[in-house]
Amino acid sequence: MTLTIALPSKGRLKEDAIAAFAKAGYKIELPKDQRSYRGTVKGMDDVEIAFLSASEIARELIAGNIALGVTGEDLAREAIADADAYLEFKAKLGFGGANVIVAVPESWIDVDTMADLDDVAAEFRQRHHRQLRIATKYWQLTQNWFADHGIAMYRIVESLGATEGAPAAGTADVIVDITSTGSTLVANHLKILSDGIILRSEANLIASRKAKLSREDRATLKEVCAAVSKSLK
Amino acid sequence: MTATTLKIETFFKERKCALPDIGMLQPADPILNAAGEDIRRRIFMTNDQLGRDLCLRPEFTIPVCLDHLQSTKEKMRYAYVGKVFRQRADEPAEFMQAGIEDIGAANAIAADAKSLLQSIELLRMLGKNRLSVTIGDQAIFEAVLTSLGLPKTWRERLLRAFGDKTRLSADLDRLSGETSEQSADLPVDIIQAIREKDSLTLTTFIESEMAKASMSSQHGRSSDEIAKRMMEKAELAETHLSDDKRKVLETFLALDLRLKNADRKLWSFARKFNIPLGDPLEDFHKRIVAIDKLGLENVAIRYKSAFGRRLDYYTGFVFEVNGVGKSAAKPLAGGGRYDGLLTVLGSKAKTPAIGFAVYVDRVVGPRGAA
Repeated sequence: MTLTIALPSKGRLKEDAIAAFAKAGYKIELPKDQRSYRGTVKGMDDVEIAFLSASEIARELIAGNIALGVTGEDLAREAIADADAYLEFKAKLGFGGANVIVAVPESWIDVDTMADLDDVAAEFRQRHHRQLRIATKYWQLTQNWFADHGIAMYRIVESLGATEGAPAAGTADVIVDITSTGSTLVANHLKILSDGIILRSEANLIASRKAKLSREDRATLKEVCAAVSKSLK
Repeated sequence: MTATTLKIETFFKERKCALPDIGMLQPADPILNAAGEDIRRRIFMTNDQLGRDLCLRPEFTIPVCLDHLQSTKEKMRYAYVGKVFRQRADEPAEFMQAGIEDIGAANAIAADAKSLLQSIELLRMLGKNRLSVTIGDQAIFEAVLTSLGLPKTWRERLLRAFGDKTRLSADLDRLSGETSEQSADLPVDIIQAIREKDSLTLTTFIESEMAKASMSSQHGRSSDEIAKRMMEKAELAETHLSDDKRKVLETFLALDLRLKNADRKLWSFARKFNIPLGDPLEDFHKRIVAIDKLGLENVAIRYKSAFGRRLDYYTGFVFEVNGVGKSAAKPLAGGGRYDGLLTVLGSKAKTPAIGFAVYVDRVVGPRGAA
């Protein structure tokens, strides 16, 4: 049998994932044909590497089609409401760090916390004859977060790019977005609420709870997770 | 068309209700606008070819109200029976509901009592004889908050949490505590302007911040609105909910009274703490008299002061009908006054309305209802 491990197929995330595995003693060998999306691990015939897009990895892990993978915690938690029932977050890998945050215009000097936003959202309909609009690509995370804060009176406006521009463009009032340095927010005159960090995300080694594995593959998976965790210490 | 459905329709026709034709597929926007984004997680959405959001009807009240707004009638009693679709924890997502929506009736008290009566009659027609009823009234809670002289922001916040014990007590904690962090990053002169309630300086500052971000105040919150709320907030940061007032609120929220005593007990509560409850208590009393006149037998009715619905268009009287004994856990019917809904859905005129829905499957079992 073969254990398939999914790694991000592009950019920094791919390089850092390969480096993390190397540090744990697994040298990933890339195919000669650069366009191939399969790799191998030196000295391990029973392991195969699949290079997929980061959000695809989250979906495949949830479906149980892949047993182990590296992807951002934000993507994993965005892909399904009850992520911990499907996924086991084995190790935080220390790269790909970024926060999913709630940000409002800096001109909203009266809004610093989620409680403030609750007040503003509640009176929005009365004042403006529509609900408060939130631009985001994170439907799941936003809905869970706002429900946890007891806020129901808002609408999500889906934004698949340049979310930070939505308040200025007038397509939304506030945003839920991912940010690593915060500089894009500052440039757009947005501020993060003091209790508005929804998730401190980074790349994680994640195992699927739904994948069906042979006993040998299960043992290999455990071994890989242990080695990666150990190499991080 | 099953036997149960036919029986229910006959029941409605005997009570002179119109039976509008409500589509199973509904535009999602009015529902999301009225109930909020959170409901999206519990409904079944899809799109048409033009990209419009549609959903399987999650309930009948909003579609019936939309239908009413299309008509030219000022008042009408509507009824429905049919499948609704909602994701629920431990029950099927596809289930039967039947109910009456009484829109535009001028005599609210009479309409309240009638709605309760007909929900019980419908349950009895379906074979449930022994029932228990819980009633609530948001207007009484609102009157308590007003009479205690709480600031508007606090009243609104507590009102929003009404019906959710956990949230309400968390909110009371927050108002009792001295958690008044000042906005850290503002320039000194602006902090001073807030303190001195200098709205001109504030709005000028806010407008310059908006200009920096090339935001237009046409789209959302205006500088006036922000300045005003900022000053209110600063004022409230210096005060907190006193122990005395908190005790009154907690005493009130713990009330659980037999209907027969409820108005008298509420009246003595108000007198004890010296908080007159005015018209809402008067209406409450009239409603109790009206319900009493119905002469409902084998129905235990209780008033619970903390019972309410979290949707902001439910404004007053609410009720829930349960079975007794083993089957009592989940309500068999729920109802309430939603005077705010038609306005939310675009009605220019204020339109009072009340309705109830019976969970048919919980009464006759999914096989009986299907």
